[in-house]
Amino acid sequence: MARLDSGLALREQFVSVAELRWRIFVNSLRTLRGRLDLVSRIFAGIGYSMIGIGGAIGLGVAAWYIVSHKQLEWLVLPLWGILLYWQLFPVMATAFVETFDVQNFLRFPLSYRSYFLMRLVYGSLDPTTIVAVLWLAGLAAGISARMPRLLPWTLLVFCVFAAFNVCLSRAIFSWIERWLARRKSREILGLFFFLLLIGVQLISPLTNYYLRHHSRFSPFQFAPELEWGAVERVLPPGLAAAAVSRALRHDFGLAFGALALLSIYTILLLVVLHVRLLAQYRGESLSESPALARARTKNKQAVPAGWDLGGFSGPVAAIFEKEFHYLSRSGPMLFPLAMPVMILVILRLGLANARHSSSFLATHVGFAFPAAAAYTILVLGSFCYNCFGMEGAGVQFYYMSPVRFREVLLGKNLAQATVLLLEIVLVWIGVALLFYPPSVSITLATLFGGCFAVLVTFAVGDLMSLYAPKKIDWAAFGRQRGGAVTGFALLGVQAGTLGLVGVALLLAAWFHQAWVATVLLFVLATLALRGYTYALSRIDAVAIRRREDMIAELGRI
Amino acid sequence: MDAPAIATEHLTRRFGQLVAVNDVNLRVAPGQFFGFLGPNGAGKSTTIKMLTGLLAPSSGRMEILGLDLVRQPVEVKRQIGVVPEGMALFGRLTGAEYLNFAARMYGLDRHTAAKRTAELLDFMQLDDQPKTLITDYSHGMQKKLALAAAVIHGPKILFLDEPFEGVDAIASGTLKAMLQRMIARGATIFLTSHVLEIVERLCSHVGIIHQGRLVARGSIEELGAGVQAHPTLDATRIPAGGKLTLEEIFLSIVGGSRLAEQELSWLG
Repeated sequence: MARLDSGLALREQFVSVAELRWRIFVNSLRTLRGRLDLVSRIFAGIGYSMIGIGGAIGLGVAAWYIVSHKQLEWLVLPLWGILLYWQLFPVMATAFVETFDVQNFLRFPLSYRSYFLMRLVYGSLDPTTIVAVLWLAGLAAGISARMPRLLPWTLLVFCVFAAFNVCLSRAIFSWIERWLARRKSREILGLFFFLLLIGVQLISPLTNYYLRHHSRFSPFQFAPELEWGAVERVLPPGLAAAAVSRALRHDFGLAFGALALLSIYTILLLVVLHVRLLAQYRGESLSESPALARARTKNKQAVPAGWDLGGFSGPVAAIFEKEFHYLSRSGPMLFPLAMPVMILVILRLGLANARHSSSFLATHVGFAFPAAAAYTILVLGSFCYNCFGMEGAGVQFYYMSPVRFREVLLGKNLAQATVLLLEIVLVWIGVALLFYPPSVSITLATLFGGCFAVLVTFAVGDLMSLYAPKKIDWAAFGRQRGGAVTGFALLGVQAGTLGLVGVALLLAAWFHQAWVATVLLFVLATLALRGYTYALSRIDAVAIRRREDMIAELGRI
Repeated sequence: MDAPAIATEHLTRRFGQLVAVNDVNLRVAPGQFFGFLGPNGAGKSTTIKMLTGLLAPSSGRMEILGLDLVRQPVEVKRQIGVVPEGMALFGRLTGAEYLNFAARMYGLDRHTAAKRTAELLDFMQLDDQPKTLITDYSHGMQKKLALAAAVIHGPKILFLDEPFEGVDAIASGTLKAMLQRMIARGATIFLTSHVLEIVERLCSHVGIIHQGRLVARGSIEELGAGVQAHPTLDATRIPAGGKLTLEEIFLSIVGGSRLAEQELSWLG
């Protein structure tokens, strides 16, 4: 029997996996979706090539200029750019990055060495890596064009820098996957990203605020001994730049030292990656079920009666209640609820910083409430376009139960409307506290405008939920709300409805009569209600027609 | 004479060129524990999906308790309970919330729903983890919960697609106890399973579907007698005289005994 750990076996396993990827690609072309995917990949490939080659030429010229003019301290900037692109682009653009799960091969007699190499190699064979390597090659070419004898050294430094980046991105991905695998850590990670997002939004207004109120303010005033240059010099791009620039200055001791430290970083990352991959290789279980395997305990609780919605049937009330249970346990869905109020705070800070601002809100403070309400509908309305995405295979239950789909969607829409209403009340309070209390006419106009926009959103969203459902998987990277068709529908409806509301408000401003907008938007809301009830009355036939596609798409594992 | 619990006439389902279910005429009497068997890809799940409203037939008729499933789907669904292959659970609810929800979807008032939920959770031994979400349940716990949701409204007919798949002996015992109770109170059960021993022990009548066609139907004794008497069946392994097991009947009808005798060069 052949030794599986031998180099021959390793090579054959690599070749087998490559062949498998090729077969998957070829077989995908049998479907229209696969062929369209190929077309989009060709376009993406052209784009990547232009970015890669164009960037490499630009960076080459820049490097030549830096070396020619002895401005070596600038060499660090392109290296920071490359590092940020290498690490952030795959996380932000997961929809455009193909993922290939090597973990599936663990059922085969794969040695750990093979598994580690496969994760590293196949995980890194993506356009991001290719573009970043092209850019590094461009930099190396630019430096060597001016100093040819440094080509081997520059290549060595950039190879280590590339290895560092590959290990870092692999380590980040493998650890994020680990955290996403469990519900609780997934929600903590989601909260972390949300806070990061909010934090980034607050940087500019807070910095401006401190600059205005403390003329000598500097971000480093809290740690005066800390200097950015000192920090930057010991980070990987600084080390790679130092290794090259010191060599250009014939200071080989420091150049070797910088390269050695960069290599140590790379080795440390390899260890971090090794810890994760070894756990995977040994068959770690990330299931949360075993915790339930303990003996039965006397932990019984009385089952409370379900919610009652006066005026609505039991099934509608049951769906309304279920939606709130789901919402309360869906961390990533909860974060957007905080966004409208956070945006108000950010806008208020922005206005406070700009004494003579000519921004729209500074000159039309009366529009703060309508603008914030519109933002709320923009953010939260997008969740109405894939109503069944979170339920996955559970959608079969609706088809098996003696309930019409109009009741199912009515229950869901009622829950969505309640959330939106609560959010708009919060926004009203926020505007009243942070800006000024909106007038009755503006409040009524906004509420009617909101009703119009929300009812149109529900009518179209209900149909899109049946025509273009997409299963939401919180354990995976990527856009979760819907496909491209849903995205276009969402954009169209939001632009149309909010545009009409905006026109009504501008007409009111033109005539200096806020009641003009109130009346116009009341008429639009009434028409939208007619449209919504009509759409709901037709929804059962659509649901039956779409039954098999819904179950197939949402029941997908 | 009572209307059959389940009746199909010329039931057919095509997927493009493939005829998954071909002209099936089936009758299941009220109170029967009916096992629906067939090899993989024979058309079992397609049939059960059509009978429970998850899939539209290409042609043919289906009646449940005398009601036309296509014309009166809501009335039919009130009378039946279903455990589909994928269980169709809502992962982010607790067991109690899900059962409460299911009961109200079947039209029970909220107090009755809460009472039955508590009883079923206790019976299924699922009441000791009240805050645990279904997504964190083990496979066996999920199967028990799916069955509890299917019976919470007291259906007259229960459709079960592979209810014992991936279930341990303890959970399997609980499921069987529940099914026996349903039969004792006069319900009809339509079950598909690959575990022939369980079907043999539980079911009074059996139907066998092969390549989309219903090739045999009757009590196990009737099918056994048919296999011994029928000259065209693959009877190479049938013992002369004596009672046949369901496995022997099944393999004889679908031709599995010939396949089992084939040799593989590398296994000797």
